[in-house]
Amino acid sequence: MNNETATPVLEVKHLKKVFGKNEVLKDINEQVSNGQVICLIGPSGAGKSTFLRCLNMLDQPTSGEVLFEGQDLTKLDDKQLDKTRENMGMVFQSFNLFPHKTVIENIKLAPVKVKGEDDATATATAEKLLKQVGLENKADAFPASLSGGQQQRVAIARALAMNPKVMLFDEPTSALDPEMVGEVLKVMQDLASEGMTMVVVTHEMGFARNVADKVWFMADGYIQESAEPKTFFEHPETDRAKDFLAKILEA
Amino acid sequence: MKKFAKWLLLVVTIVVTLGVTGNMNTKADSNTPATDQYLSKVKAKGELVVGTSPDFPPYEFTKNINGKSKVVGMDMEISKKVAHDMGVKLVIRRMDFDSLLVALQTGKVDMVIAGMSKTPKRAKSVDFSNVYYKAGEDLVIKKSDLKTIKSYKSLAGKAIGAQTGSIQYNLVKNQATKSTLKGMDKDTDLILALQTNKIDAIALDQPTAEAYAKNTDGLVAINAHFKDEGEQGSAIAFPKGAQSLVNSANKSIAEIKAKNLIHKQYLPNAGKYLATGKSKSAKAANSMWAYKDFFVAGVGYTLMISAVSVVIGFLLGTLLALMRLSKNKIANGISVSYIEFVRGTPLMVQILFIYFGLGLVVNIPALLSGIIAVSLNSGAYVAEVIRSGISSIAVGQTEASRSLGLSRSMTMRFIILPQAMKNIWPALGNEFVSLIKESSIVSIIGVKDLIYQSRIVQADTYRGVMPLLITMILYFIMTFGLSRLMKFFEGRMTHE
Repeated sequence: MNNETATPVLEVKHLKKVFGKNEVLKDINEQVSNGQVICLIGPSGAGKSTFLRCLNMLDQPTSGEVLFEGQDLTKLDDKQLDKTRENMGMVFQSFNLFPHKTVIENIKLAPVKVKGEDDATATATAEKLLKQVGLENKADAFPASLSGGQQQRVAIARALAMNPKVMLFDEPTSALDPEMVGEVLKVMQDLASEGMTMVVVTHEMGFARNVADKVWFMADGYIQESAEPKTFFEHPETDRAKDFLAKILEA
Repeated sequence: MKKFAKWLLLVVTIVVTLGVTGNMNTKADSNTPATDQYLSKVKAKGELVVGTSPDFPPYEFTKNINGKSKVVGMDMEISKKVAHDMGVKLVIRRMDFDSLLVALQTGKVDMVIAGMSKTPKRAKSVDFSNVYYKAGEDLVIKKSDLKTIKSYKSLAGKAIGAQTGSIQYNLVKNQATKSTLKGMDKDTDLILALQTNKIDAIALDQPTAEAYAKNTDGLVAINAHFKDEGEQGSAIAFPKGAQSLVNSANKSIAEIKAKNLIHKQYLPNAGKYLATGKSKSAKAANSMWAYKDFFVAGVGYTLMISAVSVVIGFLLGTLLALMRLSKNKIANGISVSYIEFVRGTPLMVQILFIYFGLGLVVNIPALLSGIIAVSLNSGAYVAEVIRSGISSIAVGQTEASRSLGLSRSMTMRFIILPQAMKNIWPALGNEFVSLIKESSIVSIIGVKDLIYQSRIVQADTYRGVMPLLITMILYFIMTFGLSRLMKFFEGRMTHE
């Protein structure tokens, strides 16, 4: 799993993103290998979410390249992008379940409409995934009747239903009540141990320390440090990272 | 009603600007030999389409004959003779008096006969036959005022009603300067206004005034004593340059005059229809129940126009909303201009424009014109409602959908629109309810909707209020039914 030499699934080169006059990402160069779990941490406003959204082109980079399995996404048209996005699942801070559809309909929608799976196959997959996230009894419920933790687990199942090669998590536990954080992290941890390639923007330092293969510390539009969690948390190199970790420990 | 005249003027101006009446200055006189194709065209289609405003007894008025509303009266007898002499069938089109000349100029009808006086002003835009009848002007007043009102001069400081666009309207305007002039489209509305004390007298053509006085309790007709302003009497109007039709009509009129058919035959015949107005059997025939078929037909047309317009308006509105939200500048520009323009102009003008204005290019029947206008109008309003609905959906929904690989259009179809629809459902319901009500304006171009039918019943029965009350209740049943239906579907869209 911890294989640095494998072919990179994702690679960014000189990635830059500007909003108006605000230079959010200045020059990012990193790569993600197959099966790797990356935790992206850093102070608020560092550009972590923007970086993640540039990986599947929800935000269009201003310049630079984003390579998915060697293919530069910034050069693709809308149709090709849709095709690529099938392989990159994304989980959002605010869940973003479709409120007018039941839990199982949420999960089946993309496999049926995008991949053209027949209903029986999609249902079987959805039921299996619901079991995996521990919500098999909620298949016919509407999202509004679920707790935040349950909704986020459905959202993970929904992303997994497309059988993606990479999962992107954008602060998946930040909007949750504290008692529900654990159930979501547990699902993510299971996923990691099954070998899923993951990029996780998070403030859960425990999760980063225990699950990540690598921690990227981002601040001021750059990735300041890229290191194994043990190294990063025990011996941060930059002042920026030392400062950040000190503040977190104080809290 | 004055506003209406202004709008009509606008339409006429557009018609004129479009250069249709290019041969406007051709002077017509009855001895000119005909070189035009009008008569041969009428003969070719085998029918003479006559426009009239049947609220003008004894010239033309409607009568419930075996459950069907027929236009009868002196003018109709003359039309029959004219058509017969041409060797073709007579087809009668009813419309507002104000719309008659526009209809003639835009080729909706071949001739207009409506107790219409030949005036130099009108002769500028149409060609007239010789005068077939000339009568003086009367005032219709309440019996109780008989002692105080002797002529128009007794009405200083009081209100006189007249049909908009009529000769009497101009006489009152020019001579009864101390009185207030109230113009209305329909004589039946004027009678109602007199009965309910909105006005003190109605200026009408003598035979018409006498007909109304005879058939309405408590009203009498007196001589108005207007100064003669050089009226030549009633004549038949034809399109400018239709000399062949004028010649043919003049031949028929000459024969009518020679045999004195108007006084010997036509007026007595018309009187027979009118005379029954106060008898007991007539009262039974005038009960609203006898006219149920009219109301049923009216409701049918109103529902049909509304249903078709709701569907087309909804589809058009969705398209416009998507265009407005699209990044394509051209699509966006078209949509914004369309919505602003349609919302910024009255539906009534749009209907008149489509029927008369567009009618110059392609001949669209009145019903279709009405449906088109109401649909196009509704589309603009629905577009704004749908746009607000789409904008109300959080951007996260789009992002989640796109991240799953759904395309832009799939996202719109499966994720955004279904949710937007639920949010805007009440607003959409409002829009559809007002569409049912606003569709009533199509009656001005002669579409036989509920309002149109209630007008006919008013004219037929000489009862002003009852048909209105029934019409109001019928509209309420339709709109209330629709809002219940919308509520039912709203309930089914709730997800808990």
